[in-house]
Amino acid sequence: MSAPGSAVRGAGRRPDASMDLLNQILREPVDPDYARVAGAADGPDAPVRPPARGRWAAALVLVLAGTLFAIAALQTDRTAPVAATERSELLTRIGDAETQQDALRLQVDDLNHQIDQLRSVALGDDDASRALEAEIDRLGPAVGQAPVTGPGVVIVVDDASGGADDARDQVLDLDLQVLANGLWASGAEAVAINGHRLSSLTAIRGAGDAITVDYRSLTRPYRVEAIGDPRTLQGRLAESAAGAWWNDLSQNRDMTYTTSDADRLVLDSDPGITLRYAQYGEGVQRR
Amino acid sequence: MIPLIGLVVGIVLGLLLEPTLPTVLQPYLPIAIVAALDALFGAFRAYLEGTFTDRVFVVSFVSNVLIAALIVWVGDQIGVGSQLSTGVVVVLGIRIFTNVAAIRRVLFHA
Repeated sequence: MSAPGSAVRGAGRRPDASMDLLNQILREPVDPDYARVAGAADGPDAPVRPPARGRWAAALVLVLAGTLFAIAALQTDRTAPVAATERSELLTRIGDAETQQDALRLQVDDLNHQIDQLRSVALGDDDASRALEAEIDRLGPAVGQAPVTGPGVVIVVDDASGGADDARDQVLDLDLQVLANGLWASGAEAVAINGHRLSSLTAIRGAGDAITVDYRSLTRPYRVEAIGDPRTLQGRLAESAAGAWWNDLSQNRDMTYTTSDADRLVLDSDPGITLRYAQYGEGVQRR
Repeated sequence: MIPLIGLVVGIVLGLLLEPTLPTVLQPYLPIAIVAALDALFGAFRAYLEGTFTDRVFVVSFVSNVLIAALIVWVGDQIGVGSQLSTGVVVVLGIRIFTNVAAIRRVLFHA
């Protein structure tokens, strides 16, 4: 009859029965064979074991254990500098790529300049062409195709000095977007963040830990330069929604937000601007 | 005395000869060492309790190391190598702690 027995066992089931594995580990930390062999050795049928050979085997195993430790320690020691070297190599490659990118951007600027010259040559010297040139000159700075020089404001923003671990205390891509849009709305003619000129096609995005402008990551602090009427730009920005947004961030989140006037700012053209669509104008003769 | 000398000789040998392990075996070295530590502390505790036997020590050491490496190897083959390593380290870690605590009680009566 096994039914009553199993019923009793079911009733007396320990509450921690499901954790029997852990209990067993805790209860039997030493190989139970030690106790068994030792018990047999004391018994009447104790095996006659060769003590010397066993001792040497144990010594050999211990030598092996020591060698294992040494190998592991050496290996960990050896791989550490390798990782550091790889890291510095990667950093060098990133630096090289950025230098190359800068060189290419310079080349783009140079070629754009040549295009401008060729265009004015091609347009000729009649009235319609002059009107077109004037319009190009007027629109160029606004769209970011031409470098702009003039007075304006410089705004420096940065993460909160203390608890920058909290994402809410860090400048986000959204914050810079709001600031840039506020500057446009306040009458800025040209805006640049950390030297990257903004155009209508510039993306201000967060990528990982960094904010990117034109797909180039920025380093803190963020220096936003805007060219515009220095008499009104700052005041209008302060009254705008962007000004309120940043006031809130600087007062409640302790972020850096300093605004200052600048007599002369030089903003380069946005190298990302390319000609995507072209059409013969009405007053221009085909050649 | 012999065990301690053996251990020291092994460490010195390893440091002097700087043997390089085949790349295939390298992932299993750390886990094998944890298993070896477990066998060592278990043997020491058995020694203090007067039940130490050379043969059991040799067999438990070798099988511990091999089985730990084997578990991780099987885990690697089926894609759960790191999880199984964690499991082995947890189980052996508990055993090592329990053994060391018992050794401490015997040695220092505390």
